[in-house]
Amino acid sequence: MHSRARITALSAAAACLALALTACGSGGAENAGTDGETGTEDVTLSVGTFNEFGYEELFTEYEELNPNVTIEHKKAATSNEARDNLTTRLAAGSGLSDIEGIEVDWLPELLEYPDQFADLSDPAVEGRWLDWKTAAATTEDGQLIGYGTDAGPQGVCYRADLFEKAGLPSDRESVADMLDGSWQDYFDAGKEFVAASDGVAWFDSAGATYQGMINQVQNAYEDNEGAVIATDNSEVKDIYEQVLQASVTDGLSAHLTQWEDDWVASFQSDAFATKLCPGWMLGVIEGNAEGVEGWDIADVFPGGGGNWGGSYLTIPTQGANQAEAKKLAEWLTAPEQQVKAFESKGTFPSQVEALESDALLGQTNAFFNDAPTGEILANRATAVEVTPFKGPKYFAINDAMQQALTRVDVDETDDPDSSWEKFVTAVGAL
Amino acid sequence: MAVTDRVHTPPPTRQRAPRDKSVKRLAFSQKVSKWDVKLSPYLYISPFFLLFAVTGLFPLLYTAWVSLHSWNLIGGQGEFTGLENYEFVLAQPFFWNAVGNTFSIFLLSSVPQVVIAIAIAAVLDANLRARTFWRMGVLVPFVVAPVAVGLIFNNLFADQAGLVNEMLVGVGLDPVRWHSDSLASHAAIATMVNFRWTGYNALIFLAAMQAIPRDVYEAATIDGAGRLRQFFSVTVPMLRPTIIFVVITATIGGLQIFDEARVFDQAGLGGADRQWQTLTMYIWELGWGQRNFGRASAVAWLLFLIIVIIAMANFLITRRIANQGGRQ
Amino acid sequence: MIEQTAGKGAARAARRGLGARRRGGAGGTMRRPGVLTYGFLGAVILGSVFPLWWSFLVGSHDSSVISKGVPLTPGGNFLANAATVLDSIPFWKALSNSIIVSTVTAASVVLFSTLAGFAFAKLRFRGSKVLLVFVIATMAVPTQLGVVPLFIVMAKLGWTGSLWAVIVPGVVTAFGVFWMTQYLRDALPDELIEAVRIDGASMIQAFWYVGLPAARPAAAMLALFTFVATWTNFFWPFIVLDPSNPTLPVALQLLQAAHFVDYSIVLAGAVLSTIPLLLLFAVAGRQLVSGIMQGAVKG
Repeated sequence: MHSRARITALSAAAACLALALTACGSGGAENAGTDGETGTEDVTLSVGTFNEFGYEELFTEYEELNPNVTIEHKKAATSNEARDNLTTRLAAGSGLSDIEGIEVDWLPELLEYPDQFADLSDPAVEGRWLDWKTAAATTEDGQLIGYGTDAGPQGVCYRADLFEKAGLPSDRESVADMLDGSWQDYFDAGKEFVAASDGVAWFDSAGATYQGMINQVQNAYEDNEGAVIATDNSEVKDIYEQVLQASVTDGLSAHLTQWEDDWVASFQSDAFATKLCPGWMLGVIEGNAEGVEGWDIADVFPGGGGNWGGSYLTIPTQGANQAEAKKLAEWLTAPEQQVKAFESKGTFPSQVEALESDALLGQTNAFFNDAPTGEILANRATAVEVTPFKGPKYFAINDAMQQALTRVDVDETDDPDSSWEKFVTAVGAL
Repeated sequence: MAVTDRVHTPPPTRQRAPRDKSVKRLAFSQKVSKWDVKLSPYLYISPFFLLFAVTGLFPLLYTAWVSLHSWNLIGGQGEFTGLENYEFVLAQPFFWNAVGNTFSIFLLSSVPQVVIAIAIAAVLDANLRARTFWRMGVLVPFVVAPVAVGLIFNNLFADQAGLVNEMLVGVGLDPVRWHSDSLASHAAIATMVNFRWTGYNALIFLAAMQAIPRDVYEAATIDGAGRLRQFFSVTVPMLRPTIIFVVITATIGGLQIFDEARVFDQAGLGGADRQWQTLTMYIWELGWGQRNFGRASAVAWLLFLIIVIIAMANFLITRRIANQGGRQ
Repeated sequence: MIEQTAGKGAARAARRGLGARRRGGAGGTMRRPGVLTYGFLGAVILGSVFPLWWSFLVGSHDSSVISKGVPLTPGGNFLANAATVLDSIPFWKALSNSIIVSTVTAASVVLFSTLAGFAFAKLRFRGSKVLLVFVIATMAVPTQLGVVPLFIVMAKLGWTGSLWAVIVPGVVTAFGVFWMTQYLRDALPDELIEAVRIDGASMIQAFWYVGLPAARPAAAMLALFTFVATWTNFFWPFIVLDPSNPTLPVALQLLQAAHFVDYSIVLAGAVLSTIPLLLLFAVAGRQLVSGIMQGAVKG
């Protein structure tokens, strides 16, 4: 058929074009990869960040220390936008910054392509970070693709006033004692609270709570070879059922989806009494709950420690100034600098030494009843024991799981069984 | 499509009595003129096609090539798989769900949009005071920053705290579950789309209405036709080409709906049960979420074919309806 | 009886007889519209302006305005929020970039679309019908995936980071070509072109002296449409431009770079970025409206 012949011809033409461009593109990248000396030649380094890294003043400081270096800051608002940007440029084979900030969530997909990133392992930085922080960014072969910046150790934020009303202990030491233990202990305390409170839920969302639980599982969705085990893993199914039992059957959830308008508005309406909160969540709560009194944070996390979020600095091998870039990345992620970033924007450091600094340990938060947040979060950071394995499909599977929970907890379009079936279908389609 | 062949008279050339000296020059200028006539059209349309070759055709063919391979967005080209990606996505319930959602949102947005736009245009066509004010006023939604549109409609359609539900409860109705009921979510998204485009389309219709000569109406009035009758028997048939233009552009835009559906919640995946996941969002999920560039490209090509087919069908249907409207 | 007097043929004949387009007045009557009409229009305008007003309301309060619910009266913080916007992003640089990009794009879209539309509508050449269908079909290409190959093209040309990367892909659009073709088909009588050709005008002169003036009303509308669409475009400029050289939407997104987003600042920025467009409406409104009025597609 004529039309088919024509289509074939067109595809072939496209192929040539595509090949030609890719070939040229990668050729350019190779030439650029000069890992040579780091002299005093003038160099401009571009640094891509998103959200809040707290680096603005540090860039100025570095430029003063190194007059030959000019730093160009490329900032994206959200991590989603930064990820789209990074992906486009990785796919196109050019255009990345000399240093690219990445979020811990993207590590699994990037670790699959370690040749896109410079190996940053270096005796000089050994032991700089908490073990789990480094482990997450290290390939099986021992290549370190990113230097840790901040971390998101989690405690439990709670409403002391509502606790008091419901007859529960409300000072942060007693609350920590009460919630210390397993997730079942946390849910049991919730049942006690809900029984005594007037329509106030225990936590905001099944999905957020599940996330705290699943991050304590070593191999949740994939085994160490990357084979998908999510739908057969009884650990996953158990957590799924436990959190939905607590959320729906026991009525502990406020049936909200994080970040949605209803969730934002709920901070003004006493909708729930506790929330799992990483350090960076404190500012979110304070902003949304402005004018509400009674928030506090307890130095505890059910089932062991937990981390949510945090970022790394990587050096793409596309870049022309990898040696200079590495110097800058190493300097930025040194404990002294991260403490400064913490002081300026509250990004909580992932460096061991930084957790011992007086500036950090002395920090208190007025909105959270003057809680010693620096000390609490430092304790929470060291309490993290498990580095969950996240293979290439981790986030797609986790998205499907979050949707499964939302269908039951928020949307009420499914019961736990039918929603699980849909989860199985979704995982099968990956 | 909306192309009609016209019978043109051949371009005239100068016909003057030949004079000795200018014969050669005349012949030369006739030659130039001939080439001018022949080549100019191609020259005039060439900017579009040149640009399209670089910024449109290459991406299109690149996508076709990608769709025939196993291709990771970051990892790049894998092995040639033929039509496997197409077979895979066509077998996915998620694909057909996205097709259904796309058409549902498309119908809910384009049909009311065209009807309301005509109604607004008819009103604006009246002998109004402060005409410029009203006409520019309906175009204001077009300039509102997208971030503001997303924010405000999320605020309006929040399931618990949203203004729309508060008003529904206020008048004694049940609140609508905008983010869990499929049809309700489509209606909310269609509202966003209609908000942005109705005024714009109204002005296009108004433009066409203003070009209808007044004595046609006068003749109709003498024949005793009421205003409503005039509208359907005179205005609508004479708007036919404009309706076709609007329907075709609205079809193409509507079937590619992305932004409004994506900002309808924070996750941007089309709802926990994919209640409002459209085809373009499915492309996005496959390509940018799962990094499966091959499958995403396959869906992109399928969508392209769907749009072409529907745009053709719409063209034929619209033409027929508008014709019948004139004969009733 | 109506179909005889008011049918298409009659309408055509009548228009041809009149020869001129008519402005204002309508519906076959000179009656002034009643309260009902103004009421309906008022409601439409209210709905149209409401989001802009709402943006201003949010922008005039403080950071708690979203979670606490947006009041119906403005607060006193707008100027302070606007000052914060100007302090935290390269607003003026972005503004001038946006003006450059939108103006150049709008001008070139109008020029090239009119040229192509003139050819498609009025000139006879082999393949014109097929080529026009092809132009329309290109609008059906989904844009989401084009980002990667387009970026490859721009990187190859060395344009990433420069305004060219934003301007060039938009210098002529299928929509514009389609629109101009449809418009010129009827707005420009063949006899007129023939007349100037007989007078010895070349094709480009015919376009310049006859085609372009006839296209003016439709061109005004296309210019406005393109200008606004370019002004608000976010995703592609965000991907391809550098932060040191942004357009307004790219610069404004920086206001959202925080775990807790202060929407009073974000929307103050959004309102600021809309003001130039409103000014454009106010200054060019009358002309544009009358332009649109005459820019009808007819057949």
